[in-house]
Amino acid sequence: MTSIESELRPVPRVPLWRNERVLKIVAQIVAVAVVVALLRWLIGNLTTNLNRVGISTDFGVLRQSTNFTIRDDPGFAPNSPVFPNMLWVGVKNTAIASVVGIAIAVGLGVLIGVGRLSSNWLVRKLCTVYVEIIRNIPPLAIIIFFGYAVFTYGPFPIFNPRNPPWQVKLPGSDNNFLILSNDRWAFPSFMKDGNVGIFWILVLVAVAAAIVAWKWRTKVNVDTGAPHHRVVWAFGVLVVLAVIAFLATGVPYRWSWPAVSASGRTIVGGFGTNAGYLSITGALGLYHASHIAEITRGSILAVPRGQSEASLALALGGFQRYRFVILPQAAKIGFPPIISQFLSLTKNTSLATVVAYPEVTSLVTSAIGNGKPAVQMLVALMAIYLLFSFAWSVLLNSVGRKFKEVSR
Amino acid sequence: MRSLRSTSRRRATVGAIAALALIVGACGGDDDTTDSTDTDGSVAIDGGGDQPDDTTADTVEVVQGGGTLAAVKARGELVCGANDTLPGFGSVNEAGEFEGFDIDFCKVVAAAVLGDANAVRYVPLTAQTRFTALQSGEVDVLIRNTTWTATRDGQESMTFLHTTFFDGQGLMVPADTGYTTLEDLDEANICVTPGTTTELNLSAVFQSRGLAYNPVVIETDAELRQLYEAGQCEVWTTDISGLTAWKFTIEDEGGAEQFILPEVISKEPLGPGVRDGDSEWAQVVDWAVLATIQAWEYGIDSTNVDGYTTDDVGIQNFLGQNAGDFDPGLGLDPDFAVNIISQVGNYEEIFKRNVEPLGLVMEGSPNNLWTNGGLLYAPPYR
Repeated sequence: MTSIESELRPVPRVPLWRNERVLKIVAQIVAVAVVVALLRWLIGNLTTNLNRVGISTDFGVLRQSTNFTIRDDPGFAPNSPVFPNMLWVGVKNTAIASVVGIAIAVGLGVLIGVGRLSSNWLVRKLCTVYVEIIRNIPPLAIIIFFGYAVFTYGPFPIFNPRNPPWQVKLPGSDNNFLILSNDRWAFPSFMKDGNVGIFWILVLVAVAAAIVAWKWRTKVNVDTGAPHHRVVWAFGVLVVLAVIAFLATGVPYRWSWPAVSASGRTIVGGFGTNAGYLSITGALGLYHASHIAEITRGSILAVPRGQSEASLALALGGFQRYRFVILPQAAKIGFPPIISQFLSLTKNTSLATVVAYPEVTSLVTSAIGNGKPAVQMLVALMAIYLLFSFAWSVLLNSVGRKFKEVSR
Repeated sequence: MRSLRSTSRRRATVGAIAALALIVGACGGDDDTTDSTDTDGSVAIDGGGDQPDDTTADTVEVVQGGGTLAAVKARGELVCGANDTLPGFGSVNEAGEFEGFDIDFCKVVAAAVLGDANAVRYVPLTAQTRFTALQSGEVDVLIRNTTWTATRDGQESMTFLHTTFFDGQGLMVPADTGYTTLEDLDEANICVTPGTTTELNLSAVFQSRGLAYNPVVIETDAELRQLYEAGQCEVWTTDISGLTAWKFTIEDEGGAEQFILPEVISKEPLGPGVRDGDSEWAQVVDWAVLATIQAWEYGIDSTNVDGYTTDDVGIQNFLGQNAGDFDPGLGLDPDFAVNIISQVGNYEEIFKRNVEPLGLVMEGSPNNLWTNGGLLYAPPYR
């Protein structure tokens, strides 16, 4: 009774300086003001110091022409401006290296992480040896090993510069399926040829149709209990509609086959990669795989043992146990540290400058060496890496939310 | 749950109050001091407040009006930005010591300013880091096979001094390829160091000839050599001096025979440089370098400089023998030239010691005294 009475008693008005809400807002305003003042002071100092030694702080210089050429980018003219052209080439190369590197790292890392928990003695030990060796070598050393040992003095005849490029023809045709030489590998690729915009709009329509099909099969399953087969349905709808769109828009992409140029020095057509690219993606993929393996193992071990025992009691097989019980729960635990591995791999591509791969950092430092102002160029570079990290975070956090729903 | 949440909220409140208290306290403190000093007179506070401003103003003046000379003398050591990977010009020998043509000019400056050619700390710099290192004051002087260009003189806030080596850009290929002209190199992979005039010349020359090429950009010469010898690039381009040095090194260490194309595609005057805005220091470095050329012209070298006697007043002045009578006001000791010549040598000695073993000849090149048909010409020391 007394407690109810005390709660009902009118609360006395709290004076402003003891009002929790007011105090919090004031404290935050003060904090922001301090940070802004500090930044203003630092930037003011920077500008004054740069002006004193006569260095311009104007970002207009980014419009000046780059004046140099870029490896394996014959389309890049030396008179194109630093911003956006040169930076765009750099961003493109960084993205290609990091996305492929991440694919290697995740695929290999998850396999090795699961392998370390295998009941097979040999598999377990091999995976442990891999992790313990690779994890303890600095990534730069691995990149240099790939760039200078594997691709220069490797025991493979294709890496001998005196040999002509090794061309693998598609059976019964004159088109090269693969070209390997000491400094570049080339694969067939697609080439734009026609109305690409309309094709991609139609693909979006196909994706929408696939989502509708997925929802419909889910509803059928919930309502009638019939098997949903929603993966088959959605995927089928997508592929069929995309193929129709592809043919309807007059085949907007054609195969581009790699061929050795007349001088025998370069490869025209196809998707060409150089030793620098192979070194950076391979080395970073292997290096980060060792970290992802440990994250995977840790996350699996963090799933309570009872879950595994319960699935054994339900007579689930090894694959089913992992697919339906262990991995969904482990994924939830392992996701945040794996995101940071993605970010760190993306940032580590900046080491590619030692193997002459023109990613964004090496192009920016090259431009600085050639007379572009360091401060502006580095600000642009930092902004680019920030955008990369931001993109990864947005993408992966949305996927991570999905995992949470699954494991409840 | 409820209790947990309420404690956390309380903690937040306490934090906010503490933060506020700090701020309020700080303000209060300020008020207190102004209040109390109002009676004493606000002069003391004003003086205290102005003091930091004064000091910053002083440093600004020091930087603008020079100060590097005084700073180097006070430190007792010259900080020289150098190359550590270019044989013959700037490299580290087996004993771990820097040696080479450019390194000797670091020693020349140290001998002139400090009287001791070995009072130098070398900071190895890459082509890309060198200007930033100079701008930021990390090094006093940059002597790292750096080409004098308008942009570097202007935008990079560097003052170039007397050219020590007249160079030009060339291209080197393995001799067994048989390439002899630029046209043979269409579509070739060309190894080049980034952030160099070489990179820009290459692009300009190939574009003007309508030739294609693929740059393989590697930061240090040592790494570049690995890729070049492994055939990742068929052509190596840099200054002829550097190519000659590497040709010598590769062949000397049992590598394939190399061929430098006869075509020289640019002018590359290499010389020391200092930060803009310190003309006192620039003059000192310039005259230290010029002294090696002047000594050569006078026929004075490290073997005969000690006890050199002459009736020529000009030479007496140069060697500081008329110290009371003649002082050009450069801020250098009267016997600076003697220190340079006795400890390092004259230009000819520096050239013959470092560059000739690589196979670069002085005869017929611009790197010769003007009296021998070269471009080395020191203004009169009087």
